[in-house]
Amino acid sequence: MAKTPSPDVSPPVDEKRASFEREALVHLDVLYRVGLRLTGNPSDADDLVQETMLKAYRAWDQYEKGTNAKAWLLTILRHAFINEYRRKVRHPETVDLDAIEPFAVFPEVQDDDPQGAFFDRIVDDEVLRAIDKLPDAFRETLVLSDVEGMSYQEIAQILGVPVGTVKSRLFRARHLLQTKLYDYAVEMGYIKGSPA
Amino acid sequence: MNCRECVEHLYEFLDRELTPEVERQIRDHLEDCPPCDEQFDFEELFLKFLRARCRTQGAPAELKRRVLRELFGE
Repeated sequence: MAKTPSPDVSPPVDEKRASFEREALVHLDVLYRVGLRLTGNPSDADDLVQETMLKAYRAWDQYEKGTNAKAWLLTILRHAFINEYRRKVRHPETVDLDAIEPFAVFPEVQDDDPQGAFFDRIVDDEVLRAIDKLPDAFRETLVLSDVEGMSYQEIAQILGVPVGTVKSRLFRARHLLQTKLYDYAVEMGYIKGSPA
Repeated sequence: MNCRECVEHLYEFLDRELTPEVERQIRDHLEDCPPCDEQFDFEELFLKFLRARCRTQGAPAELKRRVLRELFGE
């Protein structure tokens, strides 16, 4: 007897799996890098990414195929982080972001090292450590922009804030990070100067 | 465009977030203003440095296997 077509409107499992692999699983590296910076350790990042992928697969029918899977997945990842990990892995944010007035590094190095060659002497781990020390709101904005190359609009969507907030956080996050790296470079003797 | 306006748009310019018209005004200003040009170069190099330092990590192979196992029972 011929098989009657299923009244179910959801796509067959094979098709669902194929589109998930094509559009979502390809972003595993991005999710891991962002997860690692949010949680601060590889084991929690693994769990967070795993959970994100499970949630995403369950909700896959709601995702409009061919739109922005990366932003959609990062939104899920961030919600999962806020709901389940932030309390566990990091202390609640007590920093007053508006009170942070980062020091501008360029005027300090303009005469001796205008190209910022001292940055090149700073190794990966030190840069990641400095990023991890940024306040949460700055860190997530900077990672989405500077590590993952997302647009202001995409970041605003993922973080649920206006584009103007993304701009101002990005400006201050970058300058704060520059200050931290500059201080480190001075301390290590990579560049002359006094720590900010 | 003066120096202050130009520097206000610094990151939007480097992030390619401006309209072509404002972008052109900034390029014109940078051509005529070496101090601003130097500052833009410094910031651009910093962003390149940051990306190069942070993108080396990818998801561990074991995590990929774990996700596939969990999703598709493999």
